Amino acid sequence: MSKTLTLTVAMALALSVGTGVAQEMRAPVGPIEFTVGAGAGGSPDVIMRTVAQIMNEEGIVENPIVVQNRSGAGHSNAYNHVLGIPGDENTLLTLASPVFTTPIVQGTPSVIDQITPIAGFIQSELMLLTTPGSDWAGLQDMVAFAKENPGRVRVAGGASGGNDHVATGLIETAAGITLTYIPHESGGAARATFLGGNVELHFATLSEGMEQIGAGTAKPLGILSAERRSEPGVADIPTATEQGVDVVYTQFWGVGGPADLDPAVAAWWADKFRQATETQRWKDGLAANLQLGNFYALDEAGSYFAAEQDTFRSVLTQIGLAK
Amino acid sequence: MIDALMQGFAVAFLPENLLFIFLGVLMGQVVGALPGLGPAAGMALLLPLTFGLEPATAIMMLAGIMYGGQYGGTLTSVLINVPGEASGVMTAMDGHAMARQGRAGAALSIAAIGSFIAGVGAVIAVAIITPPLASVGLRFNAPEYFLLALLGIIAVGSLGGTPIRSLLAGVLGLMVALVGVDPLTGTPRLNFGIPALYQGIDFIPVAIGVFGIAEVLSSLERTEKLEPIRTRLKDMWLTAEDWTTCRFSILRGGVIGLFVGIMPGAGASVASLLSYLAERKFSKQPEKFGSGAIDGVAAAEAANNSAAHGALIPMLSLGIPGNASSAVLLAALILHGIKPGPMLMTQESTLVWALIASMVLGNVFLLIMNLPMAPVFAALLRIPYVYLAPGILVISLVGAYAATLTMATVWMCIFFGLLGWVMMKLDIPRAPLVLALVLAPLMETSLRQALLLSFGSPMIFVERPISAVLVLAVLFALIAPIARLFLRPRR
Repeated sequence: MSKTLTLTVAMALALSVGTGVAQEMRAPVGPIEFTVGAGAGGSPDVIMRTVAQIMNEEGIVENPIVVQNRSGAGHSNAYNHVLGIPGDENTLLTLASPVFTTPIVQGTPSVIDQITPIAGFIQSELMLLTTPGSDWAGLQDMVAFAKENPGRVRVAGGASGGNDHVATGLIETAAGITLTYIPHESGGAARATFLGGNVELHFATLSEGMEQIGAGTAKPLGILSAERRSEPGVADIPTATEQGVDVVYTQFWGVGGPADLDPAVAAWWADKFRQATETQRWKDGLAANLQLGNFYALDEAGSYFAAEQDTFRSVLTQIGLAK
Repeated sequence: MIDALMQGFAVAFLPENLLFIFLGVLMGQVVGALPGLGPAAGMALLLPLTFGLEPATAIMMLAGIMYGGQYGGTLTSVLINVPGEASGVMTAMDGHAMARQGRAGAALSIAAIGSFIAGVGAVIAVAIITPPLASVGLRFNAPEYFLLALLGIIAVGSLGGTPIRSLLAGVLGLMVALVGVDPLTGTPRLNFGIPALYQGIDFIPVAIGVFGIAEVLSSLERTEKLEPIRTRLKDMWLTAEDWTTCRFSILRGGVIGLFVGIMPGAGASVASLLSYLAERKFSKQPEKFGSGAIDGVAAAEAANNSAAHGALIPMLSLGIPGNASSAVLLAALILHGIKPGPMLMTQESTLVWALIASMVLGNVFLLIMNLPMAPVFAALLRIPYVYLAPGILVISLVGAYAATLTMATVWMCIFFGLLGWVMMKLDIPRAPLVLALVLAPLMETSLRQALLLSFGSPMIFVERPISAVLVLAVLFALIAPIARLFLRPRR
């Protein structure tokens, strides 16, 4: 780590401690809605239900929390609901990649610039899988094949503009290849297409991927992370960067409040999310699912989300989806 | 395996578990009967309440809601012609016609019995052949789904009225389905700048409007005194003849339902449509279909229940949810700290077998609940229609609101109510519109996915064996009626 970076991190830490002390906190009154743009069972839904459960059961938050699925239209039902109630203290929006990508694809104003950032608290790395009978031993073999046969390597993906579409775009740019991305109705449908042997590639979260590898239904090509994981089994899988394809891309989730949310309430929520994610239960869940628990609060979360938005915008522009 | 199953039953028979299985199927029955609130939504609502329970107990209860919903959906389909779910459309066609003839009790009974037999049969299939069946399901992909949906759309032309009118209604349904968002690229299309149309037009407001509200509107016009439907008690129960007619319909419906259920892309609605159409081919009285054929009800209900169970096969063995309800079940597993996926059957075998055992028990509960209650529910129709109509309107509109929690859905529902009323006036059948709307997304998405898989070559439809067979079936379905026209002896 360079000296300037160390200094910046130290300053940021000092600042966040500083604001933490100075920032007064105030609890909202009455029941809370966690608005989720995905249907029941989707990753954002599962994450928010787990957090809500921990907050209520461990006594971190006394207000009853309801997880409300306002699914459909690329999370826009959910974020439009939250954007429509500025200042509301009892509703939090779940931030998942569609909240960023849908406005870019539809050419509507950015959501993340309008809401009050509260926290980014969970990330999940992606693994690139190929069929178990494939000749490819690693990422470079796939790249070599794709260079000779442009567009002939197919990726079964969750949704147009989704995380795996963005990851596909990043790999195309980094390796100088063209892939064929085939969107599906859901991640499950894409997985069925992959397991049925209809395509060459598929992206999975690490825990999904390890399940498939364990069952002999998939073979890993690489993980799109900065460094290797330490857990047995996963530790054997090289990163994309190691294999000369310089792509680091992590799925992430967070929460934000409506526009003009009282900073004291936002600070209270950031503190509650920090407490919830410091519980053993939460950490056990992260470990079991091979997820990351980097925590960003308030302004720090704001700049983290803004940076992610820039990545989405540039990749979606490159894929030709941005409006 | 017998040991494992016995162990599963031992878990399911624990008093606490029996209670929650019962609560689950009861809830399923209720949410299934309410239009707009399907089993998936009901399960999502109750999910947080299961956190205090043992994982096995929670999963058994949630699964109870899933298949209990298939029983409950029959009720509104038969009694007031409002299918609570897409899979109830075929039941409504003949079930409601039977109700109008005073045979609502028989329709409800055969639906319960058909669902029970097919449900238990499907559970046995889940138990015995889950891993091999799951790989059969994976052989179906985009090209096969497209042909399946195409077959369904073609068959829609034969549902009631003249083929021209049915196809007209079907095309209208396809047009409605195009509104909203391009399913592959996410590009908005045909929304005319109206925010309520951005996400497309859902099945629920259309079905509730076109069936339920249109029915009430048309009844308002009848100025003559509306007689309540006369039901004699002896018509409530099944006759020996009914049973003979339906035995094999249930069997065929159950088998078709199971196979459609294990395909992760199809679902209970495709299952009930296909088995209904197959049954009409087998029936001795195909002309009765659409105007109160009891074997039509039996086949459709058997198929949708066995499809609901069959959807668990890819979920348990591969971690791929076959429908919305099993997606919620999958989430429940994750929330209870159980990792779904290909290893589930071996790592959590106690839980899986307890679930299988619980489904047998749950189906028994549902049969016990539904069979004696059928005449009671059917007696609702003895209420004069003037009192019943406002109730139907309220249930319909509340159901439409509950589906999305927005008023826009209610307005949409009223619009389609008016459209349905006009269609009734013009003698255009309404079921093809709704079925086309259900099939269209599957058809469009899978056609485009198939062509992406093949890099644009249509040969993919004949190169894959299952797909090639389906192509022949499609050709047969198209050519047979024309051939029959020419081969018909001249009078």
